[in-house]
Amino acid sequence: MTLEALSRKIQAGERLGFEDGVALFAHRDVMALGQLANEVRERLHGDRTYFNRNMRLEVTNVCVASCLFCSFAKLEEGAPGAHTMKLEEAWRELEARMDDPPAEIHIVNGLHPGLPFSYYEELLAGFKRIKPDVVLKCFTAVEIHFFARHYGMTYVEVLERLRRAGLDSLPGGGAEIFHPEVRQRIASDKATADEYLEVHRVAHRLGMRTNATMLYGHVETFEHRVDHLLRLRSLQDETGGLLAFIPLAFHPDGNGMKNLPAPTAIDALRTIAVSRLLLDNVAHVKAYWVSMTPEVAQIALRFGADDIDGTIVHETIYRAAGSRSPRGLTVAELVRLIQEAGRVPVERDTLYQVVREHPRAWVSEAALKVRERKANKHLEVL
Amino acid sequence: MSLLVDRAIESAGLHVVLCARRAGSLSSIHLEQLRAADLLALGALADRVRSEEVGAEVRVYTDSPPEAGGAAIVLPAGDAELTGLELLREVAVARIAGPPAGRVRVDWTRCGLELAQVALGFGANELVGVISTKRGLPIAPGDLAGVGKKSRLLPAQVVKRNELAGYVRRAGREPVFVGAEGVWEAKDTVAALEEVP
Repeated sequence: MTLEALSRKIQAGERLGFEDGVALFAHRDVMALGQLANEVRERLHGDRTYFNRNMRLEVTNVCVASCLFCSFAKLEEGAPGAHTMKLEEAWRELEARMDDPPAEIHIVNGLHPGLPFSYYEELLAGFKRIKPDVVLKCFTAVEIHFFARHYGMTYVEVLERLRRAGLDSLPGGGAEIFHPEVRQRIASDKATADEYLEVHRVAHRLGMRTNATMLYGHVETFEHRVDHLLRLRSLQDETGGLLAFIPLAFHPDGNGMKNLPAPTAIDALRTIAVSRLLLDNVAHVKAYWVSMTPEVAQIALRFGADDIDGTIVHETIYRAAGSRSPRGLTVAELVRLIQEAGRVPVERDTLYQVVREHPRAWVSEAALKVRERKANKHLEVL
Repeated sequence: MSLLVDRAIESAGLHVVLCARRAGSLSSIHLEQLRAADLLALGALADRVRSEEVGAEVRVYTDSPPEAGGAAIVLPAGDAELTGLELLREVAVARIAGPPAGRVRVDWTRCGLELAQVALGFGANELVGVISTKRGLPIAPGDLAGVGKKSRLLPAQVVKRNELAGYVRRAGREPVFVGAEGVWEAKDTVAALEEVP
């Protein structure tokens, strides 16, 4: 099917299917794809582009899983580079930032076999004691599944205990690629696709809102990506609990797939665009600047993305895999990135409620004159 | 090129610029329009002009930067520190307002391969940048010792050429390498290995 035919289908409000998704991924003209995704993005959000004040924390990188793409995990405590924070150390990370505190703490960890469940409960409760209104978006579905198995509880029991301790939302990590042909190869010893989706389903039933991700650009095919997106779309049809979808670019340094090239910027933009078009029931598509660099994330805001994530402060997972993005950005830097892209920066909370809408970029006359001079220079050559 | 791109150009009011470009009658009024245009529409127009005038080939210069004489426009220009978006706008304007079938060159060593790749969608048709070692030093003849068919190690030039070729192809374009040895089509890694001295 041609892009024009797909465009007509989208405009008629018809849902795209598996073959449509594959055709979109395979389409050579990424600019046209971007145009189509941008139309949908602007229909949903206009120029509004979201970000938040968040803080990433990885309290332990000790992990029993051996995912091929991971450069962060250490198999056992005491191994070189392995770390597990004492609770006080983790809390100090927040206390140290109370002059400009984050609105959200985003915690993702390894699957540590030696910690008591109470460690995680106390971790959350401690953050709430320090800042009662901080939103705790912690533990991927893979971690929740591990807790359930390791500590002999159901998903409901795990989530309810963590919620009593202060858990508000789940991040989207751990989805990788759902299709078993790929999942068996790259992440065979952790939650399956069905288990990942079931954790989110249960969380949604309990009234929580969550995010979802997809790790792309390694051994998967376009068909695997579309399968992944459609499984998320089905879950969303059922529960409506997904807030945002975040495509994550694979980074090859220091992991079991280091012989593979990293996905390129064009692939990142293509994936953002197709995600926007296929996930017609998920409100937000995020250009996670850590994974794709702030420069490419800026461009992605014209290819279907409406969110650029947040301040982050201290990211280590992508850093371990060779990411050259900075570890954190200030609010002023995020606002500038969004304004430069011609969008309106909107600071949000975890549930996408508006905290503050910033003004559209103001371009000085001097800057416009410089731009005009450059254009005239080209015209002189002509 | 699809009708969608035409629609984007049309709805941004840039069709008149495209017609003027084809007729060789671009004026400062058209430049005003370019200045105010949405980034994607600008990119769509530049890509259309590129497609009509220079086709899908991307010349990749990997030894030393060729003279920027003739009709070449090199970006980023001089010491300019451009953001990614500014670079894309400049590339697009250079393609649209520059000479017919012009050579719009992007220096990937200055803006990064990712942005250079995206710039190919905004009208660029040449990539320039000296391939160096990981530490940024020029590759000396001695660096080739110990690599080749028997050791199965590839010299940095071949690795980088393959990487560059991959970036160009994934942008939907065809790389043609130009260096001291002349012009050659990009080959895959195994074929490239056969060339190793």
